[in-house]
Amino acid sequence: MIISKYDPLKQEQFQVLDSEGNVVNPKFEPKIDDETLLHMYKTMSLARVADIKALQYQRQGRMLTYAPVQGQEAAQVGAMAALEPQDWLSPAFREFAAMLYRGVTLEQLYLYWYGNEIGSKFADGVNVLPVNVPIGSQIGHASGLAHASKVLKKNQVAVTYIGDGGTSHGEFYEAMNFAAVFDSPMITIIQNNQYAISTPRHKATRAKTLAQKAIAFGIPGIQVDGNDVLAMYTITKEAAQRARNGEGPTLIEAYTYRMGPHTTSDDPTIYRQDEEVEKWRLKDPIKRFRIYLTNKKLWSDKQEEELQKELEEYVTETFKKVENSDNPTIDDVFDYTFVNNPSDLIEQKEKYMKYLKQSFLHSLKETSKANKNLKED
Amino acid sequence: MAEMTLLQAINAALFEQMRKDPTVVVFGEDAGFEGGVFRVTKGLQQEFRVDRVFDTPISEAAIMGSAIGMAINGLKPVAEMQFEGFMFNGFNQIAVHMGRMRNRSRGKYTVPMVLRMPWGGGIRALEHHSEAVESFIAHIPGIKIVIPSTPYDAKGLMAAAIQDPDPVVFFEPKKIYRAFKQEVPETEYIVPIGKARMVETGKDITVVAWGSMVREVQTAIKSLEKDNISLELIDLRTIVPMDTETIVNSVKKTGRLLVVHEAVRTLGFATEIITRVIEKAFLNLEAPPTRLTGFDIAVPLPRGEHHHMVDPKRIAYEIKQLVNYKV
Amino acid sequence: MYEFKFADIGEGIHEGQILKWLVKVGDSVKDGNSLVVVETDKVNADLPSPVSGTIVKLGAKVGETIHVGDTLVWIDESGTATVATEVVPEVKKPEAKPVAMALSEGKEDNPAGVVGSIEVSDELIAASTEMVTTDQIDVAQTKVLATPVARKMAADLGVDITKIKGSGESGRIMKEDIIKAADTKKVAPTSVASAPVIAMPSFNEQEVTRVKITKLRKAVVNAMSVANAIIPMTTLMDEFDVSALVKLREAQKDAVKLQGVKLTYLPFVAKAITMALREYPIFNSSYDHEKEEIVFKSHINLGIAVDTNDGLIVPNIKDADGKTILELAKAIDNLAEQSRARTLKLEDLQNGSFTITNYGAFGMKFGTPVIKHPEVAILGVGGIYKKPIVDSAGAIVVADMLPLSLTIDHRIIDGADGGRFLLRLKQYLSDPASLLLRLK
Repeated sequence: MIISKYDPLKQEQFQVLDSEGNVVNPKFEPKIDDETLLHMYKTMSLARVADIKALQYQRQGRMLTYAPVQGQEAAQVGAMAALEPQDWLSPAFREFAAMLYRGVTLEQLYLYWYGNEIGSKFADGVNVLPVNVPIGSQIGHASGLAHASKVLKKNQVAVTYIGDGGTSHGEFYEAMNFAAVFDSPMITIIQNNQYAISTPRHKATRAKTLAQKAIAFGIPGIQVDGNDVLAMYTITKEAAQRARNGEGPTLIEAYTYRMGPHTTSDDPTIYRQDEEVEKWRLKDPIKRFRIYLTNKKLWSDKQEEELQKELEEYVTETFKKVENSDNPTIDDVFDYTFVNNPSDLIEQKEKYMKYLKQSFLHSLKETSKANKNLKED
Repeated sequence: MAEMTLLQAINAALFEQMRKDPTVVVFGEDAGFEGGVFRVTKGLQQEFRVDRVFDTPISEAAIMGSAIGMAINGLKPVAEMQFEGFMFNGFNQIAVHMGRMRNRSRGKYTVPMVLRMPWGGGIRALEHHSEAVESFIAHIPGIKIVIPSTPYDAKGLMAAAIQDPDPVVFFEPKKIYRAFKQEVPETEYIVPIGKARMVETGKDITVVAWGSMVREVQTAIKSLEKDNISLELIDLRTIVPMDTETIVNSVKKTGRLLVVHEAVRTLGFATEIITRVIEKAFLNLEAPPTRLTGFDIAVPLPRGEHHHMVDPKRIAYEIKQLVNYKV
Repeated sequence: MYEFKFADIGEGIHEGQILKWLVKVGDSVKDGNSLVVVETDKVNADLPSPVSGTIVKLGAKVGETIHVGDTLVWIDESGTATVATEVVPEVKKPEAKPVAMALSEGKEDNPAGVVGSIEVSDELIAASTEMVTTDQIDVAQTKVLATPVARKMAADLGVDITKIKGSGESGRIMKEDIIKAADTKKVAPTSVASAPVIAMPSFNEQEVTRVKITKLRKAVVNAMSVANAIIPMTTLMDEFDVSALVKLREAQKDAVKLQGVKLTYLPFVAKAITMALREYPIFNSSYDHEKEEIVFKSHINLGIAVDTNDGLIVPNIKDADGKTILELAKAIDNLAEQSRARTLKLEDLQNGSFTITNYGAFGMKFGTPVIKHPEVAILGVGGIYKKPIVDSAGAIVVADMLPLSLTIDHRIIDGADGGRFLLRLKQYLSDPASLLLRLK
């Protein structure tokens, strides 16, 4: 088992592909078929383009708050690629690329960030929970998903993400401990992107790595180069196998960097230096993966050019579609409260609709004072 | 005197009280170095250093628990929940300890702390950043709650809250953090906790509101100018302890009551206000006391939020309905 | 032409300074290309183009200040490959709440917020006038003290509650105070509310059985008592030869039956009455004893008394004068049916102006029908019967006789008028041709 070979207490970090795209750990290079490799690369690239454009749209006043994912594509796609179709993803709020890989459409993601709940209504067979804002609570959900899978023999593994700041949260400890006790088939990936809004990693905990917190739960933990898509794939695959074998949860720390701001309304220049950001830019996950694929003769400059053009068009079209989409109706806003809304809630809705109608008619009357033939319903 | 926004007024109050009282400490997630995500605590760490103004790990339960412990042991903590939607992680401490320590120890241990958090909706944000949650805490004995609606009140109430020997929850209506300015004295002054503010006086109808809704009601009133309604507007300011006397006296004068709040309807604070008015001014009522509130649904995401937020048009409509109610 | 306006980029910034232009007039740009770097308090924002096209005009020079809402650059989109002619920079907001475009003071904090967008404005509101609440409210200025139930009762009884003296604690107005006030408001016999109150003698309860009267019966009790109490009534009677009418009816009734109409004599009587009422409108009026005015009605709503299982109901035919005899027949039939089925609408029973009661159906000839207040007359129609009479030639013939009884309100209709009215009816009904000649 690779995991046991890299001791977080000794700060040993697992890597397969270095920043220049060289395979430095050939023994553990995963065997992935070409189609999947290309799919991984394209998804990471799509996430990158969509992410950058989302930020642009926000600056143009066309998009609301958005949590950028730039720099963390490998930590997400690498892990997701190692899973089976029936497996679960219980995301936090910075798993754009992971959700894309698991079958959530770009349109749905944009709709969510655009402020419409319909963006969280994923297709059948897409086992992904909606974006989860309260930090840490997604881990408990993953624990439950895994638990049910075990009891009902569904052979599903539940994967969840949390940030470095999030590991200070009580729910992280409580849920992980709980899942470990039951040997629930789950994997928790800590996306250690070095910052929790303005709070740097070292202020979140005294532990030297986050992976070592696994020791307290009695489960294996490993720190992985989060920008190395192959390493993420390999370890996640192993963790999933453990889970499926009934050996319980695994804790993976993906060591990566948040290239953008916490959200579009955050200004990172206040609390960090540009030099640091540039240093990490050299470790870009997509860059090294591209070199790897090119070396394997699976990718070329021409294909890259075409892909970028395609993605640019696709993202622009998708966003335009979202911009022109309908707002939620009054029905949408009310009708998902209960399976059958109780009478007092129905009454509230009807009263509101009646009010809207009369206020619409009133304004209609005001604007057609000259028209004496105005008929009222 | 200086022209300040609500946010600047709170910041000014913190500076003032921290200079006056060395036991006052301020902390929360991102509240130290960068001064909070809204910059309410900006500049404090630079002046008072990291011992008194600091960032915490992400753990509301730990923030709350520590605040209580600090308060017991001689500090005056002003702790922050980054958004009201996240207070639930610390709710155990709020519900079970914050208001109870005095009683549990028969006065030996007390919790003179302030818990502040951005509150309420209307900023087109993600889930859990738009809730009006005063009712959850109002139901816990031993905790005071204030919600200012103007910069003047914000500074005076924050000073009062910090000096109050009881635990005070200070809700900051984020929608109006920077929406307008007001002349605010730069010297110390207190706005008493437990006293409502009479914004307008009149005799046809009493309207009670707080937080961001006060401004919405004022906009509604402007639109009713030609309707000749003599309206009494009360800004509640303090949720607990509620200024029952002011409201009751007003309803005794007008006979009609409208309570406006953005929180969810069922057990929203209007319930308490209306019940007390019925208890104490039953014979003066000329029309059923009415509440205009959010619906019993989750606050919608931005694309649907307008359906939920009470707006001046609806307020004006309800006022007219109530004033025209035939005895 | 696309105008790219400087939008609120969420940092609470409402103005900035042009630091560097990355394009110039004439340049071709693509959606997403950076156009300009704008310097703000904290951040130098790099603004990307929302559309593809050619730069036509720059909105400000390097070093100049622009405010949120100002146009940064004009872009000509025609002739570009990508679509995007109608890209609107603003989000489709559910409620148009634009970010304030006020001048910034430059020292504004960066409010961030992390999520959402908060409104930023320099609008100045009124200074606080911290009012000490208890002093300034007029506590004494309380309105009337009464429970909601009492208030409603006052409203129902048409009593002004503010003028009542309350007998309860603190001057509270109790229910009995309201009832008393309502009673004194009533004017004795002319009030229409209820019948005069007289004590009932007692019975030996062992020898009697009591049955509660129905609501309908109660209404009739009221109506009869009131009419009798208010109206001095007198009845004029006459009977006359309607053989010609009988022949007419016999001849027509079968053909008419095919149209679903049951042709009795009542429609003819109704028609004759409507024509007589047009000639003698005082029979279609009311007498307002309070104002001492005769109230002439413009509509002739002919009431037809119907006998149902539960009692007497009098629905009326609206604007009966505008109907043909056949239409009247149909209307009479409908009303009778609906009365029995209790499917009448309230308006059918309201606003009647003259009533016909047809007790001839039971074989009665003459009667003294009671006027339906506030009408002023009622016609009782007896059954047509064969009787030997002396005709104009002096011979004894068998004729079909129609007995009529007309009760009038003797306050405003004298016997002579009553006689004239009855005579007119006699004329129309004994000589149907004369009816025909005057038919409009």
